[in-house]
Amino acid sequence: MRQQIIDTKINLHASGEADECLFEYLHAEMVNYALSKSCKNKEGEEELSRLEWMGFSVGYRIIERLTREWNRFKDELDMIKFICTDFWSSLYHKQIDNLRTNHHGVYVLQDNSFRLLNKVGTNSNKQYLQETPRLLSFTCGLLRGSLANLGIISTVNAEISTLPSCKFHVQVQRI
Amino acid sequence: MAVCVAVIGKDNSPKYIRCVDESSALQFHCKVHTSIDIIEEKLNVGNKAATDIRDLYLNLLYATEEYKIYGYATNTKIKFIIVLHSSNVSLRDNDVKMIFKKLHAAYSNAVCNSFYIPGDQLNSRQVQSI
Amino acid sequence: MSRAGTKLDSKKVFCMKNILRYDENLYIINSELFTLTYGALVAQLLKDYENVEDVNKQLERMGYNMGIRLIEDFLARTGSGRCYDFRDTAEKIQTGFKIFLGITPTITNWSAAGDEFSLCFEANPLTEFVELPDHCLNLKYCNVLIGVLRGACEMVQMEIACWFVQDQLKNDNVTELRIKFIKRLEDAIPAGED
Repeated sequence: MRQQIIDTKINLHASGEADECLFEYLHAEMVNYALSKSCKNKEGEEELSRLEWMGFSVGYRIIERLTREWNRFKDELDMIKFICTDFWSSLYHKQIDNLRTNHHGVYVLQDNSFRLLNKVGTNSNKQYLQETPRLLSFTCGLLRGSLANLGIISTVNAEISTLPSCKFHVQVQRI
Repeated sequence: MAVCVAVIGKDNSPKYIRCVDESSALQFHCKVHTSIDIIEEKLNVGNKAATDIRDLYLNLLYATEEYKIYGYATNTKIKFIIVLHSSNVSLRDNDVKMIFKKLHAAYSNAVCNSFYIPGDQLNSRQVQSI
Repeated sequence: MSRAGTKLDSKKVFCMKNILRYDENLYIINSELFTLTYGALVAQLLKDYENVEDVNKQLERMGYNMGIRLIEDFLARTGSGRCYDFRDTAEKIQTGFKIFLGITPTITNWSAAGDEFSLCFEANPLTEFVELPDHCLNLKYCNVLIGVLRGACEMVQMEIACWFVQDQLKNDNVTELRIKFIKRLEDAIPAGED
């Protein structure tokens, strides 16, 4: 009996990996689509609002399901911790590596090897640094949407210094 | 069975109300609105007792001679309300909790429909089937 | 002491037991991410294009691009070689669905010539939460699948055509996908290969 349970788990993992690439390819297509629809603004930055918006929509919906079996959160920090641990590991298979906050509505979430950046290149490869914002825009929206549904209105920006690590800056808007 | 089920949005506007007896719907709307206040009070963070309620299920909100009213609030500030006849003793506390869980599951599935715009009225077939 | 708003406190939130607890649900949640992301994409396309037919076309095109990459993963994962015949292909496509979407569609309705068959889906993770609104009745929500199959087959030198015959989103009992063999693409074999 015990053996059986273990076996099915291994199977689940194998297929889990499989749809990982499914998501990655879909994401790649969405990035291409968003770029084909956007025009560069004056500073030469790409306009990625479509990607951000799709991320927002997914985040808003998925958080509804992820928090279903969860006890009520105590406060804002409790919610952010949930995002860093359970939320992140169910979506990206690992937790956020480091969380910093000034306790006044600024949170910095650092992921040392972000799933969607893993294949772009490693060890301070500067070649693609210009193009990376487009790979993070969807996730920025995902974070903003999830927090919005939990009642935290925020702006989320991403920052990359060395691939494949990145930081998400969450700035909570106090009303 | 429950005589009235309601889903209340973040802004306390009703997203979905269904009553078994439509002719007395107005009466139930009033009851639902009263119970929103009680839920708000229970969830109010400043309130010391409130921090103890970590469970999403909020138990019996209040009872009148005729009805018993139960509440439930999700992490995303959506409130569910169920009204039962006082004479209904077949449904225990746990059963009510199960109905809420089912309602919550149906609600979160409806939200996951990519054609549903959050904040709109609910008219998903899944919610209606409960 | 840190001044408010300037210096950031470092706080590790790493906790091993959380990872373990979610293990079993990981697979389910992860496929939900895909399902919802696809849904958001379809909604965005409907916003961007006036014509539903253009949305269908765009979904097919995206599927094609995904298919030509997915076939590599499929071959690496299964280690399968050339197909003996089109029946063999049908089984491999079925395996593909099992690997990538965790579903096993049934292979049915072979044509007499053996060049055409149907895949019937009872469950489909892509449409798990979807209820089509009335104004989108011409939308082929799952059109990405058609693109994926076309792209994947083309990479193994096979031209196919496929289309939906029935669709659960339009109140049919099953979703039926018809697949037809067109021809082998001999020219596409790269030089240097036997």
